[in-house]
Amino acid sequence: MIAIIENGAGSVAEPAPIEKLKRTVSASRLNCWLQCRLKFYFRYVLKLTKPKTAALHFGSVVHLVLQQWNMTRWRRQPFEIAKLKQVFDTGWLDQGGTIDWDGEEPEQKISAWNVLEKYFTDTPIKADEMPEAVEVPVEADLSQHGLPVLIGVLDLVRAGGRIVDFKTAAKTPEPEMALHQNGVQLDCYSVLYREATGKRETGRELHHLVKTKVPKLVITPAEPMLEYQRNRLFRLMEDYVDGLDRGNFIPAPGFGCMGCEFISECRKYDGGRHE
Amino acid sequence: MITLEANYSKKIGLPGYSSHQFSVTLKSELADITQAEKESARLYAVLQGSVDHNIRQIGFLPGEPAKPNGNDHGNGHTPPVETDAWKCSDKQRDLILKITDEHKLDKARVEQLALDRFGKGVKSLNKLEASGLIEELLEQTGQSKPRNQRFSPPKAGAR
Repeated sequence: MIAIIENGAGSVAEPAPIEKLKRTVSASRLNCWLQCRLKFYFRYVLKLTKPKTAALHFGSVVHLVLQQWNMTRWRRQPFEIAKLKQVFDTGWLDQGGTIDWDGEEPEQKISAWNVLEKYFTDTPIKADEMPEAVEVPVEADLSQHGLPVLIGVLDLVRAGGRIVDFKTAAKTPEPEMALHQNGVQLDCYSVLYREATGKRETGRELHHLVKTKVPKLVITPAEPMLEYQRNRLFRLMEDYVDGLDRGNFIPAPGFGCMGCEFISECRKYDGGRHE
Repeated sequence: MITLEANYSKKIGLPGYSSHQFSVTLKSELADITQAEKESARLYAVLQGSVDHNIRQIGFLPGEPAKPNGNDHGNGHTPPVETDAWKCSDKQRDLILKITDEHKLDKARVEQLALDRFGKGVKSLNKLEASGLIEELLEQTGQSKPRNQRFSPPKAGAR
């Protein structure tokens, strides 16, 4: 049995039944599961919600503008920077919520737009390149492997089947480490793409928009998913289902705890089993 | 006396979001139960042959002038039937039809949208393409959802 933890800052919704969490799985849930099972428990089982962080807001507004930019090409509309700026300004206000900016909002807003301008200048995607898909929700029924339904939203699939995921980052990513850290997500997208199209993707790309003082765009290409990568992903999904069955929500103290929104709940966690 | 009743039914998709269905039922009397397996196989073959032969006559289609029906067996004038009607999932097909129907969208314009975006008709879209079309239709009908709510079930009557 798991003890429900009283928390101060967050709010508690109706806990999600474990059975429901076992029916579907996503890249973000798997990544959270890998990072720390107790964090997973707080976020997805107890559904504790925390105020949006400045970094999350930054990333979601940048994504919103990139989505609009991709949609514009998909609809064969002309590129108009003024319209995208309008989307950016509205998105910044709409999605703002109650963020603790610590007095840095104007600076952050300028930085977010600068990084987008950098992207539009340096992107390898030509203005007339028609996307194959933009921000589409897709799912793959993996029941034939005894696994849940994999769900996900693809940021962009470029012409010819290149899967692109956009990232915002504070530091310049090192290519090998970026691919390693985002491997689960990229492999999930490959599985989803293959299931939805019946074709193998021709490649994967991480587009990092880096919010350094002088903004940067770092593109990290990856090969199509290999068999061993798919097997590794499926083993992770098996572990996810088994762990949920056993109520295995042990914490994983480490460097990741520094930015964790559930640190106060974690400190009070009693192990969850009461004999 | 034992009565064996067999029914064979087939539904196929047609152009312009249409479909048609045909079923045939036969009853057969058996002297004893040991004949059931053989007779059942015979009835299946007869019924399937009959349905397959007749269902090729697609008759009237919305938006087309009425055709004489049932008198053109094998004369080469019957349009080809799309047997592999929709390439996307059943769920996606139902959603596309539901949005189109509930919002009274012009089917020809939906078809044109698919042609513009993907270079193929609605029924030929794969799951990825159908998902893109659905997102576009939802946006056009003011039902687009934020990214983190895309997989939550639609509210009653919303889609």
